[in-house]
Amino acid sequence: MKILIVVQRYGAEVVGGSESHARVVAHRLAMVNEVEVATTNALDYWSWAPHFPVGESKDGPVRVRRFAVTGTRTPNFKDAERHVLFEPHTLADEEAWLAMQGPHTPELLEFLRREGSGYDACLFYTYIYEPTAAGLPLVPECAALISTAHDEEPLRLVPYRALFQLPRAFGFLTPEERDLVHARFRNEHIPSEVLGIGLDAPPWHDADPFRERYAPHGPLVVYLGQVSEGKAVDELIADWIAHRESGGAGSLVLAGTTRMPIPECHNIVSLGRVSEEDKYAVLEAADVLVLPSHLESLGIVLLEAWQVGTPCLVSAKNKVTSGQVARAAAGASYDRGGFASALAAVLAKRDAFGEAGRAYVERECAWPAFDARLEQLVDLVAN
Amino acid sequence: MSDPSVLVVVSRYGDVPGGAEAHARSVVQHLKPHFAIEVATTTATDYLTWKSELTAGIDSVDGVTVRRFPVERPRAWNFKLYERRAFRGGHTLDDERAFIDAQGPFAPELLDYLFKRGRDYDHVLFFQYIYYPTVRGLPLVPERVVLVPTAHEEAAIGLTAYKPVFHGPRAIAYNTEEERRMVWRRFHNERVSNEIVGVGIDVPAGMNAARFRSKYGVAGPYLLYVGRIGVSKGSRELFVNYERWRASDPAHDVSLVLIGDAEIAIPKTSGIVHLGRLSEQEKWDALAGCAAFVMPSLLESLSLVTLEAWAAGRPVIVDARSPVLAGMARRASAGLAYRSASEFAEICELLVDDPALGDRLGRSGAAFVARTYAWPRVVDTYLDLFAEVHTRLAA
Repeated sequence: MKILIVVQRYGAEVVGGSESHARVVAHRLAMVNEVEVATTNALDYWSWAPHFPVGESKDGPVRVRRFAVTGTRTPNFKDAERHVLFEPHTLADEEAWLAMQGPHTPELLEFLRREGSGYDACLFYTYIYEPTAAGLPLVPECAALISTAHDEEPLRLVPYRALFQLPRAFGFLTPEERDLVHARFRNEHIPSEVLGIGLDAPPWHDADPFRERYAPHGPLVVYLGQVSEGKAVDELIADWIAHRESGGAGSLVLAGTTRMPIPECHNIVSLGRVSEEDKYAVLEAADVLVLPSHLESLGIVLLEAWQVGTPCLVSAKNKVTSGQVARAAAGASYDRGGFASALAAVLAKRDAFGEAGRAYVERECAWPAFDARLEQLVDLVAN
Repeated sequence: MSDPSVLVVVSRYGDVPGGAEAHARSVVQHLKPHFAIEVATTTATDYLTWKSELTAGIDSVDGVTVRRFPVERPRAWNFKLYERRAFRGGHTLDDERAFIDAQGPFAPELLDYLFKRGRDYDHVLFFQYIYYPTVRGLPLVPERVVLVPTAHEEAAIGLTAYKPVFHGPRAIAYNTEEERRMVWRRFHNERVSNEIVGVGIDVPAGMNAARFRSKYGVAGPYLLYVGRIGVSKGSRELFVNYERWRASDPAHDVSLVLIGDAEIAIPKTSGIVHLGRLSEQEKWDALAGCAAFVMPSLLESLSLVTLEAWAAGRPVIVDARSPVLAGMARRASAGLAYRSASEFAEICELLVDDPALGDRLGRSGAAFVARTYAWPRVVDTYLDLFAEVHTRLAA
């Protein structure tokens, strides 16, 4: 089959959850299909500044068509966004917001209008950006929407009212995303597939150095990801300090790019960014992985922790990650104030939770299982 | 519990000519007992200019609240240019957008109303896929929309801009099998819930052909056409076919009676009688007396007046190139289709020489209309479609 993937940014160096998912899907599908990608020349999702050369290139077996972004985001975008999200405004304001948000890529849209119907299936990534919001309506008869939606204000805006009624099928990252979209748009009649993700086996790694360093001080609690308030790491640190002050033991290790101040404290360690090998090493050495973020659309790090048999503790405010943990029976979720008791409960059953997590990932994230779900999605559209 | 509410959106509404507009009004009247129903439309009465003729604001037609929104600019004087740009190969999305705006009726306040208040209604029923209020308005409330496309083969329907109109609504009420087949072939939107709905035909208590003949001085057998007289209705071909037949066969003294507004010059040929617009009763009297009703238009999604001719028990002559009319005539066993001027002549001769044949076809047509285009069935089908929309929204 001939499959087109439309995504706002694409490439090995692009950082972003849905963009990474799109690239994984492109390569998996390319093993048995003719796969092309239509994307922009931008690397950065804020400025959309030109980075890649416009035109055709190859990413392994995938043919990549890059179209030029015309104009970058204007400095008053945030004001315009606040206006449509939180103040009385007009239809025209909402329509203008979409174009301002970008990436505005008229040639990509013209390509879809001209050539889109020639593909057996067009998979559109991320509901929110213009290539999807304006592009999918040009080829609804052969479109799947991989919306990567979470419960956020823009989901209420006008450009999306029709978008979520138009595709032939939906690909969701999690059952929670599916439930959110169904509740918001009443579009249960459109068939869907929960895709999740597939994972490679972890690379060679050695957990012993981490174990030797931290085990003498009690349980090792690890956070892995961007260290920022946006990811609620400030809440985690406050919960951790309260836990220690009420007699709890152990170390909190933060691994990831740091974008916030970390208090000076002997039982809180910030590693900064770590290599793939060290990532798996610290995950395996950990007694528990904590993910305090309220807004995760998949929580891949949970799956990676389970790959090496480590249970997870997640914020109950996040339906997606708490749903994942409940489905895998491989950890617990906590409310603010209940951190210490939840942590104790997970530590008490560390090995059983860890094994359940390992089994869950082997079942759900093995490549054959992921490929089968992907094939199902493509079939929903192409037939 | 109060009745569910319906907002009907249509480009013109009230005492305006036009098949789709009359269709919308009769549907509103028959749905009125079942719903809290309102109409959102424009201040225009003329579909060529969209000139603002009526007052913006709240109006009432047949006891139904009608919200009229101003047409902010009339149809572009150079609209043909926009058409050419949008219909040529290699056109752009901007060309399509410019065409939709230029075609009109350009009524942004109607869109703002749908944006702000559309979701206060349980259902929104859009008429006519082609115009600005539908193209731009339907995507604002798709989850509660039933669309009556009134579509036929024409250049505009090939535009990409119409894909969301046919894929977005929750349900579609087609007029005929032929319309649905054409839309499915073009848009591949089979997954959208749909029914063949059409309209009901209200047949008056009595029809009196003699009254019509004496008032307008029509003697002898006559062919009848009712409707707008213009190029897009196939009127020129009708005149040519009629004149050729009469020239080649002067023995048949059969006149051609035209009822309706003329947009083009009508030939001064002997035998052609143009009566202008007539009352409803006079129209039915004329239908009852004709040897055959002629519908030369190729571009119909549902010809109300053809259904009325059948309801009056008369046979219909249609152009074989019109898939809707030829298909209906075949299914109803109530008409004959011509492929050429000579076939047109043969059919006319046949029906004039053998009145029993015309009566037989007409009876078959009347039975077809009574069976298919009866209001109780139409209303029930709408109720089913709305119930389906409602169930999904309320679930």
